[in-house]
Amino acid sequence: MHMKWRIITCIIFILILDLVLPIKALAHGVKIEYTVNMAIEIIAAYDNGEPMGGAQVTVYAPDEPSSPWLTGVCDDRGYFSFIPDTSKPGTWDVQVRQAGHGDIVHIPIGEDMVVTGGTGGYTALQIVLMAACFIWGSVGTALYFSRRRRA
Amino acid sequence: MRKRIPVLAITVLSVVGIMLVSCGGAVGTLQFHANGEDFVRQGFVSKDGWSINFTHVYITLADVTACQTEPPYDPHLGVNMECDVKVNLLNTYTVDLAEGSENAPPILVGEVQNAAIGHYNAISWKMVKATSGSADSYSLVIVGTAEKDGQSIDFSIKVDEEYEYSCGEYVGDERKGMVAADGTADVEMTFHFDHIFGDAETPVDDDLNVSAVGFEPFAGIAEGGKMDVNMADLQSRFSSEDYQMLVDILPTLGHVGEGHCHCH
Repeated sequence: MHMKWRIITCIIFILILDLVLPIKALAHGVKIEYTVNMAIEIIAAYDNGEPMGGAQVTVYAPDEPSSPWLTGVCDDRGYFSFIPDTSKPGTWDVQVRQAGHGDIVHIPIGEDMVVTGGTGGYTALQIVLMAACFIWGSVGTALYFSRRRRA
Repeated sequence: MRKRIPVLAITVLSVVGIMLVSCGGAVGTLQFHANGEDFVRQGFVSKDGWSINFTHVYITLADVTACQTEPPYDPHLGVNMECDVKVNLLNTYTVDLAEGSENAPPILVGEVQNAAIGHYNAISWKMVKATSGSADSYSLVIVGTAEKDGQSIDFSIKVDEEYEYSCGEYVGDERKGMVAADGTADVEMTFHFDHIFGDAETPVDDDLNVSAVGFEPFAGIAEGGKMDVNMADLQSRFSSEDYQMLVDILPTLGHVGEGHCHCH
């Protein structure tokens, strides 16, 4: 009986080890990871359609609009992309300049575009429900005490 | 009764204090500059090889207004500007964009000292005919000398057309128009005179040069090394193509740094 329990314990231990310890990697294994991010893509061109290749790009975040949040350069197609910090909702401003020509584009990024969740926030429905509960509780309490006084 | 007086006084002072604090918003100073850029201050070579130096560039500005707009005003849409907050200069100003040395700063047109804090991300103004002074009856007077191949022409070009510009945010090395409490910020009305004459440092087939008149048509109507013309003179003495090119390009003078404006 004792021996039987030892064997069972050994088998369970081996099974657990199999689950916990890493499996030896195969030579042709492939590992793919992905992250969901919201990227802003800019295509800058002159009025005649010529791409602003090599144009200077300056990105300003809404919380500190006077200092560049990011600087960079458009590629040959006039293309530039960046991933904004979604914890900073508001208007993101992107300025593109080259040889005396330039423009600025204003990109609104709302809180609903935030991909990751967090604590501390309530939806409008939750706030209304909480307010209704508070008012109902207050009215009920007041009615309760007023009734006792009359009695 | 005597005991109540101090209490009453403190109460009144407190109420008045709270009212003052709550009603009085933070303010700063917003300056309005006009800038003809280095083209005007230092001179430049036109697309057709004329070396141009400016003695005076008088421009008359009215209804100069800076706005805070949300969403930001987009001049490409060509719509009227809706201001959430605005400050404006009360007078009409004639300024000389060529004033000062070749490294002089932009011309201070005026300032508002009690501007509500915030980002003034749009500006509008009118270019109107002056009613007195050196530019009387004209919205723009360009005076200078052009030289090419040993030939020199003293010129004066007078424009009596009036224009109204609505512009978004300044585009340049720095962001402008951000007024902080007790701070000073500025906005700028920028004028691109290379649009009229073209720029030898820009490729000939660049849109700037393709749409610019250049100086050669002006040189062609000079007499005895002098040329003093207004728009009526130019209409009668320019070819119709050159005159139309000038008429088409004049409204594009107004910018905010490198940013374009909508001209009404």
